[in-house]
Amino acid sequence: MSEIRLQVQHLCKSFGITKAVQDVSFNVNKGEVHALIGENGSGKSTLTNMLTGIYTIDSGKFILDGKEVHPRNQVEANNEGISIIVQELGTLSGLTVAENIFLGHEEQFISHGIKNTRAMNRRANELLKQYDFSHIRAEDQIDDYNFEDRKFIEIIKATYFSPKIVVIDETTTALSQEGREELYKHMDRIRAEGNSVIFISHDLAEVLERSDTVTIMRDGVYIDTVKSSDVTEDDLKRLMVGRAVTGNYYRTDYGEKVSDEVVLSAKGVSVPGLIEDVSFDLHKGEILGFGGLSESGMHEVGKAVFGASYDRTGEVVLADGTEIDSIPTAIDHSIAYTSKDRDNESLVLNQSIEDNITLPSLRDLAKGPLQFLRDSALSAFAEKYATQMSVKMQGIEQFVSDLSGGNKQKVVLARWIGKDSDILVLDSPTRGIDIKVKQDIYQLMDRMRKQNKSVIMISEELMELIGMCDRILIMKDGKINGELTRSQELDENALIAKMV
Amino acid sequence: MKHPEKSLSKDEALKKAKRIDQLRTYLPVVGLVVIFVLFIFLTNGKMIAPKNLILLLNQVYVVMIAAMGVFFIMTMGGLDFSQGSILGIASIVICLLSPYSIPLAIAGGIFAGACIGAINAYFHVRRKIASFIVTICTMFLFRGFIKYFASDSPVRASMNVYDFDHIEFKLTCTILIVLVGFLAFRFTPFGTYLKAIGAGERGAMFAGIRTDRMKFFIYTLAGALTGFAAFINIVKNGSATANVGNQLETQILIALVLGGMPISGGAKVRFGNIIVGSLLYYVLYSGLTMIGLTTQELQLVEGVIFLIFVAVFADRKALKVIK
Repeated sequence: MSEIRLQVQHLCKSFGITKAVQDVSFNVNKGEVHALIGENGSGKSTLTNMLTGIYTIDSGKFILDGKEVHPRNQVEANNEGISIIVQELGTLSGLTVAENIFLGHEEQFISHGIKNTRAMNRRANELLKQYDFSHIRAEDQIDDYNFEDRKFIEIIKATYFSPKIVVIDETTTALSQEGREELYKHMDRIRAEGNSVIFISHDLAEVLERSDTVTIMRDGVYIDTVKSSDVTEDDLKRLMVGRAVTGNYYRTDYGEKVSDEVVLSAKGVSVPGLIEDVSFDLHKGEILGFGGLSESGMHEVGKAVFGASYDRTGEVVLADGTEIDSIPTAIDHSIAYTSKDRDNESLVLNQSIEDNITLPSLRDLAKGPLQFLRDSALSAFAEKYATQMSVKMQGIEQFVSDLSGGNKQKVVLARWIGKDSDILVLDSPTRGIDIKVKQDIYQLMDRMRKQNKSVIMISEELMELIGMCDRILIMKDGKINGELTRSQELDENALIAKMV
Repeated sequence: MKHPEKSLSKDEALKKAKRIDQLRTYLPVVGLVVIFVLFIFLTNGKMIAPKNLILLLNQVYVVMIAAMGVFFIMTMGGLDFSQGSILGIASIVICLLSPYSIPLAIAGGIFAGACIGAINAYFHVRRKIASFIVTICTMFLFRGFIKYFASDSPVRASMNVYDFDHIEFKLTCTILIVLVGFLAFRFTPFGTYLKAIGAGERGAMFAGIRTDRMKFFIYTLAGALTGFAAFINIVKNGSATANVGNQLETQILIALVLGGMPISGGAKVRFGNIIVGSLLYYVLYSGLTMIGLTTQELQLVEGVIFLIFVAVFADRKALKVIK
């Protein structure tokens, strides 16, 4: 019987009239990785945000080692022994690595009102060495480092003082395989020290592999706590969704012949510093996957095909010889693109669902030489495709910024289905999205393929590449480093071998 | 039991948001009517004397036309402080060309305005400098030119321009321009594109909008519109002094904000902002003058009202950085 570290008791939180967390109670033991799962909007992040002092508690309490804690901000939370690694960037630009690590805790280096920067840098360098991140230097500006290194710096920031509870909130979605391994290593270390990790992730395979216990939430309500060794992925899915997830997750066909007809080819495409001499053909009715580490350049390939890269050389041509060199040309020639950066590039966040769905199709919907638009035609168009994608919304006039990640992605897809695009470039289409919507997206891709449309899927999730693609191109250091064909024998290790 | 309750609460939240939106839509219109009626009483009916109404309209034309260009710019999330100087330069060009031919003078004014607009656009779009910095620079730069040309004596237009100084011409021009602007903004892709750029430029670009081209066009168009407004101004005044167009940019800004324009542009912009705003500004201005406020007091009151309206209409979610 292990000892209890944290008790969550009858916790409630409402935003206006929406009840985000309702009467949730569960325990986290000492020395365990405790996963917290649930679909988007189930209240996981709200709960951990209360624990770390970002939100205030409406009612209920957290009891850490027998003592009630109610931190009012992150620094107070740290002092209580609670820290968090967030999903997006948690470091501040314009500060050095050391300043970021010790943000809010500078007092340890201050004597007589003067901060000893040298001592702070020395301590930070010691930590970097201890954590095996010696390629990072404490004196450097944080902006000199890429996303992944900045995440590593956050790991140090959140764990160097051996907190009793570390919250890791969907951090892995943004990391490459390599980065994940690094994070797992530190999760194991925290566990070995007898401290606890609250681990939030959408990747159920990862959850089962890495956690000891799993707590499931749905619509702000506590559902169950189970031992990871006792359950399967399907059990978790059922608990999260509240019903059995029927139908197939990925495609099930194997050995189907893909057409020889080429619809798009990239010839010697290079973007300085990102990709180098990338050439490939996309066939009719094919799902072509791009895999690799997040810095491998694969995300830039999507932009290059969509005409959205700066300083691109080489050419992207369609079957009829049309060269794609700008976004409007790409869209006019039936190419669709969903960006990894959904909020900024795929959508106009501060606009309605209607505006977002109709935006690329406005010129098709306009009538006459003066390009007149009828309001009724616009709303009918938006309504039609939003319904077809079953976007969960109050109405098409609702702003996209209010939607959850999965529903935002559905709006993006509705836009391109409305445009009737023949070539879909999907960059990280299921990033940060719950399983129900994931399944919808996979089924949509399969339908597209059967309608002889072609799909390029760029993804950091190896399982979905293996499950969905006819062919997978693996990128490494900006170049294509291998090609794998669809088969039942294909496994993650075969992909990883080409990636690193 | 949980679900109906949740959807009900969402409905209520939506209703609340709608009420705030409605307040934003109707407050300026209601304000216009209330203030107009209030001043009719305060001035014992002097406000609606035909002479004063015409005077009022006479002031509105220039601001309303010039405000339309700035309205487009602000919809895209930019700002333009150079309109006063554009009006000044265009007025001087019109005066100088008017002895040769009036159509030539009008074309010259529009061209001069468009050129300055294009200069703004070049530095903002191609050189990526924030629009309010660029336009403050051009405001000072061209104000310098105006002072140089018109300081010793005003630049006089030919007497022919007075032929156009009748209400039918000025009113028709203004209505026509505003109507074309309205139709284009409300019923063609043009308006939605501008709003999309204001709400999220990168997202707009990835939806296939040629954002740079659009911005270049709009800054140039705004210059051209003010260039034409300069003709209406010259028709009224007959000459361009060193102070021509002084503070026009501030008047436009206040008018638009009074009309309910969110200062960061984007999806919540309405075309009616221009019309209601310009009228409201001048009703307020004339009314306060008629009840005997001095210029200093007038500025103070303007400042207070401006601040209140900005506070009410600013869309804080979108208010990050104005381009």
